[in-house]
Amino acid sequence: MAEEQVVKKKRVIDPNSAAYKLGQITNRNYTEAWEAKNRGEKIGWCSSNFPQELHRTLGVAVVYPENQAVAIAVRGAGERVCDEAEALGYSNDICAYARISNAYALNPNAPECDMPLPDFLLCCNNICKCMVKWYENVARELNIPIIMIDIPYNHYYDPTPEQIAYVGQQFRDAIRQLEELTGKKWHEKKFEEICRNTNATSKAMLRVADCLQYVPSPMAGFDLFNHMGVLITALGAPDSAPAFNQLADEMEQFVKEHKSTFRGEREDYRIMYEGIACWPHLKFTAKSLIAKNINVAATIYAVATVHIYDNFDDMIKSYFYIPGAMNLEQSRDRRIKLCKQNKVEGLLVHTNRSCKNWSGIMPEMSRQIGEACNIPVVAFDGDQADPRNFSEAQYETRVQGLMETMQARKEAK
Amino acid sequence: MADYNTLINQFHDIASNPAKQLRHYLDSGKKVAGVSPVYTPEEIVHSMGIVPMGIWGADVELSESKRYFPAFICSIMQSIIELGIKGTYSGLSFVMMPSLCDSMQVAAENWKWAVPSIPVIYADWPHNRSQAGHDYIVATHRRQIEKISEITGAEYSDAKLSDSIAVYKEHAEVMRAFSQKAGLCGMKAADRQAVFKSAWFMLKEEHTALVKELMETMNPSDENRINVLTTGILADQPDLLKAMDELGFNIVWDDVAHESRQYYVEYKGENPLDILANKFCGMKHCSLIYDYDKTRIGLVIDEAKLYGAKAIIYIQTKFCDPEEFDYVFLKREAEKAGLPIVMIEVDRQMTNYDQAKTALQTLKEML
Repeated sequence: MAEEQVVKKKRVIDPNSAAYKLGQITNRNYTEAWEAKNRGEKIGWCSSNFPQELHRTLGVAVVYPENQAVAIAVRGAGERVCDEAEALGYSNDICAYARISNAYALNPNAPECDMPLPDFLLCCNNICKCMVKWYENVARELNIPIIMIDIPYNHYYDPTPEQIAYVGQQFRDAIRQLEELTGKKWHEKKFEEICRNTNATSKAMLRVADCLQYVPSPMAGFDLFNHMGVLITALGAPDSAPAFNQLADEMEQFVKEHKSTFRGEREDYRIMYEGIACWPHLKFTAKSLIAKNINVAATIYAVATVHIYDNFDDMIKSYFYIPGAMNLEQSRDRRIKLCKQNKVEGLLVHTNRSCKNWSGIMPEMSRQIGEACNIPVVAFDGDQADPRNFSEAQYETRVQGLMETMQARKEAK
Repeated sequence: MADYNTLINQFHDIASNPAKQLRHYLDSGKKVAGVSPVYTPEEIVHSMGIVPMGIWGADVELSESKRYFPAFICSIMQSIIELGIKGTYSGLSFVMMPSLCDSMQVAAENWKWAVPSIPVIYADWPHNRSQAGHDYIVATHRRQIEKISEITGAEYSDAKLSDSIAVYKEHAEVMRAFSQKAGLCGMKAADRQAVFKSAWFMLKEEHTALVKELMETMNPSDENRINVLTTGILADQPDLLKAMDELGFNIVWDDVAHESRQYYVEYKGENPLDILANKFCGMKHCSLIYDYDKTRIGLVIDEAKLYGAKAIIYIQTKFCDPEEFDYVFLKREAEKAGLPIVMIEVDRQMTNYDQAKTALQTLKEML
């Protein structure tokens, strides 16, 4: 019998749509870095919440190991590259992004997402302290310098004056170090332009995120994860704000036309998804929710990297308000506000094995959110890049339990 | 003068009975504060007339703390919260908790909710030890002093801090000398550890005096034992230490955070708050603090050679990722230097050390 060929129809994205434009912006990050490298310029690897205003003002090309790790994980190679790291001596208890990145530094060969090797590293530890050791190891393997911005964990709800002074000096030192490393010069006017772009993109992204407040929502909350790449790689780029504003316009039009990108039959339940996406099982985790008509109507992660500020000190402060740097109470209050605004009915928590910082306050924080919003909370075990730390059966059971509790509460009303 | 056995039993008694020590200081009318890992500025606490006592958790089954942590957080920090919830630290006026790694950060956050009866003061340290980092340390110390005064009513003065720094300086010098002598004298691992551990539960001037007395009773040994260097965060596992003693290992030096690592850096400078800032800024040998040069790797190899260690025992606290990152390079460099290295994974809930014993047995046979 002739082998039956199943040709999967590829979804064609309208090149005039916001989703297409945002995809293009993310992809161009790698192209630009390869081009800069080929021109003989020095390029960097950069942590996701390093102040992008600094290197963008100087016109220095960087790529983001966290984005690369996500791409490798989503395309099914997380385990393979983690295995490479473990063969080098890395414990499988270490963050999977860090394992992937350190393995790639020594064996830069991942067809799922290749990127140029760095000449320097830009490290900012506001997302976690693990970042410090991760970059230390890459720097030692490749014998390259690190520009380190240390943002102290904000135990005090808001940053203290001494914290702002300490970080502000590091910003100024980083500019000087980057100038020396790359030979490029700082221009105040360019910096002001980047800051304007950053504010505009951030406000546009918040417009998009605000669309989730509509009931039913015009978009699937999981869609926001797809746009994280733009926020990390192109927050200060001139075309990011127009693309996000277009997306917000499209969503507002959807509201008028009673349409949604959510692929369930209808939106029966609205939840908040807490934590980084379980990238190796993104399809499974999303499909399971869709099958139960559960839409993600809120996620703090999607708006974690927006920066809105009026001046230099405010810009510094904004880098303290990152999920990995905010204390439990600040983190909690922001989520409670979001849950209430977006009329969330349940909280689904990803206990991410890779992320000690985020997962370590999650039980108490989610308990308090559940009480304040009077919503059920369930957690599942997973990982942001290592597929071995996730069980489909556990996830299904937990989500089913959450759905049943939400259903019972609806019926009781 | 007391003999070695009498004195070492005294160290063991103190090391294994922190609750008794706490009661002793409280009964004598002193206030006591808990200082959690690592590098908490004890000198400030001491200078304000408060006894700083180390809180490094204990080997206990974790039950209450599971409400606050997933399993993959460092068990030292989890067990601190466990003991806090269970009331073991009752009587402390406050605790001071640094935030150098992710597990420390989240433990300090959870403390507020898990142990609301004992206030927490944050011991912020900068990873960048530039002038900005130095100034940040001084500013955070001022904040801590203000908070300690607010909680306890104790007063601060530069003069008293200078006196306390002198006490801590002498203690560090004595402990460095002790560590060397312990190696030369073939001191049992368990005895050696009791001396280091007891330092966390005593006023440093009392501990210094007792260690000096002990050292007078210690004589060089010509026993044929296997010289090793231990490195890691914590080596407070009686069964592991017993196995090391039974197999004939002799610790000639350690790079353990709970033991010698805290004593490496000298106190330098004029103004006492500057001296403390200089000390932290001078630390370039610890997995928990940003160190571009990975100074710790070379330091451990050099120390091993200097003290004649034949092998390195890497005591890896489970889920301590800063140590896990360093292991990759230390293993590589140790092998290059011809020094066998064995990793023993430990945590605060471990009851079975068979695997660790097998690893040590293999190391012995290899040597």
